Amino acid sequence: MNAIEIKSLTKQYGTSRGIIDVDLQVQEGEVFGFIGPNGAGKSTTIRTVLNFIKPTKGEAQILGLDCFTQSEKIKRQIGYLPSEVHYYDDMKVKELLNYSASFYKKECSQKIAELCDALELSTDKKLEELSFGNKKKVGIVQALLHEPKLLILDEPTSGLDPLMQNKFFEILKEENKKGVTIFFSSHVLTEVQKMCHRVAIIKDGKILNIESIDNLRANTYKKIKIELKNPVDNVFENFPGVVNRSVHDNCVEFLFNGQVDKIIKKLYEYSIINIWIEEPQLEEIFMHYYE
Amino acid sequence: MVIYKREIFRNRKSTMLWTSILLSYNVCMLLLYPSMVGPLKDSMNVMIQSFPKEMIAAFGLDKVSMTEMLGFYNTYCYLLVTILGGIFAVIQGSSILSKEEDEKTIEFLLSKPVSRNNIITSKIFAVLTNLVILNTIISVISFVTIELVNKESYNRRVLLLLFIAPIFMQITFAAIGLIISIFIVKARINFPTGVGIVLGCYFISIIATISSKADFLKYFTPFKYVDGADIITKQAIEPIYLIIMAIVTLTCVIATYIIYNKKDIVA
Repeated sequence: MNAIEIKSLTKQYGTSRGIIDVDLQVQEGEVFGFIGPNGAGKSTTIRTVLNFIKPTKGEAQILGLDCFTQSEKIKRQIGYLPSEVHYYDDMKVKELLNYSASFYKKECSQKIAELCDALELSTDKKLEELSFGNKKKVGIVQALLHEPKLLILDEPTSGLDPLMQNKFFEILKEENKKGVTIFFSSHVLTEVQKMCHRVAIIKDGKILNIESIDNLRANTYKKIKIELKNPVDNVFENFPGVVNRSVHDNCVEFLFNGQVDKIIKKLYEYSIINIWIEEPQLEEIFMHYYE
Repeated sequence: MVIYKREIFRNRKSTMLWTSILLSYNVCMLLLYPSMVGPLKDSMNVMIQSFPKEMIAAFGLDKVSMTEMLGFYNTYCYLLVTILGGIFAVIQGSSILSKEEDEKTIEFLLSKPVSRNNIITSKIFAVLTNLVILNTIISVISFVTIELVNKESYNRRVLLLLFIAPIFMQITFAAIGLIISIFIVKARINFPTGVGIVLGCYFISIIATISSKADFLKYFTPFKYVDGADIITKQAIEPIYLIIMAIVTLTCVIATYIIYNKKDIVA
């Protein structure tokens, strides 16, 4: 059974595009990244499977339950962290967490204490007094306190300082070790790189590609930078497998997807001063999807 | 139950504030009653007769006497209980659901294991509870005050009707507020809309009272459904009005359930 199973899910807002024919499978126990620029449809997808908004067409299941008819059952087993956290201003942190816990028929006080401790969150403050980052921490605790089987996190790290981000990722890794499936959206690729087993790339409401992180990086792309003796404008132009090519003075830089052998042979034609062959950042791999 | 408790707690200050304002107004007015029916009684009646007849009709003084207990309660207390009570009800009704969307807390609530129906039901019961609390406290303490200041006999059954009728009207206004808030989520718009509707209904009821040509308007304003002077003279709330209020309330509530379940909720 897949933790999340989405089939040709489409959501249109009036005439404007939301998401179009989104297909996704997230396996149980997996950490799955959902990557795309702002406005690509990440939050729309998440809100649709959580039944906040109704799909125009398509199917979606979470933990084997139908997202649109069995939403209440689903929500007993999942934790959700929205990208923008808004809570009741009149409540204190601990009141909100207890309110949140009271929806589950479970004793959560120990888990709350553990999480607040790990995130250095003081529970006696009023929510309206909290900074954005601290509100986000409250959001993290309320998403995790009932020990859900699946975590759906929408841009979870925005607003957290780097130290807290690391702590948060440690918490997530520990949860994942216990078997919790994690689905999170982001436009920051380095954090996805750190955490995820697989990623889906979404742009303009459509899924462009789903791949494992290892595949994406190891097998496909090399980042190659060459410094030439004489400026040549058309070096490696239209060479098969070359993408994101850019030229600055005597330097040419590109991503290469293919047999390295062919590049080496081609290099004989030029006089070369320097050459760098590196593992590209995911950002660079994705840039051409975005363009 | 979780949401119900939360709503009662969250609205406690507002309910208590409205209750205490109305209550202190009622008690102050009722304490003036003895001076009204004392030596001044005849000159009061003469003075009232000198008012324009439209004004007398608007206050229902052509049907009841201000120098009798029930007539006095109708003019000085009942009017404000219906107007302010109506405003309280429409504010409660229009804010209870939309507040979650307006303050963007609805995503939190919907991510918990509760159905939308459960949310609506809990919130409707919270509003009903608040209305019952408001009316019960005002009625009980007004009754005690009336017993203290009134020396003559009066019909207690009619007084009970004057205590109960505003609840029906308030429930109707709360239901209207609820359905409005499905379409107008922003508090800064739905709040004045609700208050405007209540005050508008009050003015319609005055027009319906003073002009015989506009008599048909009485079916369009809850204030006429529970008109105090009519209740005192007929010693009953007219069944047709009870039926209208029931139909309006049920229609609004059922429509709320249907639309809210289909609605895209985006914080």
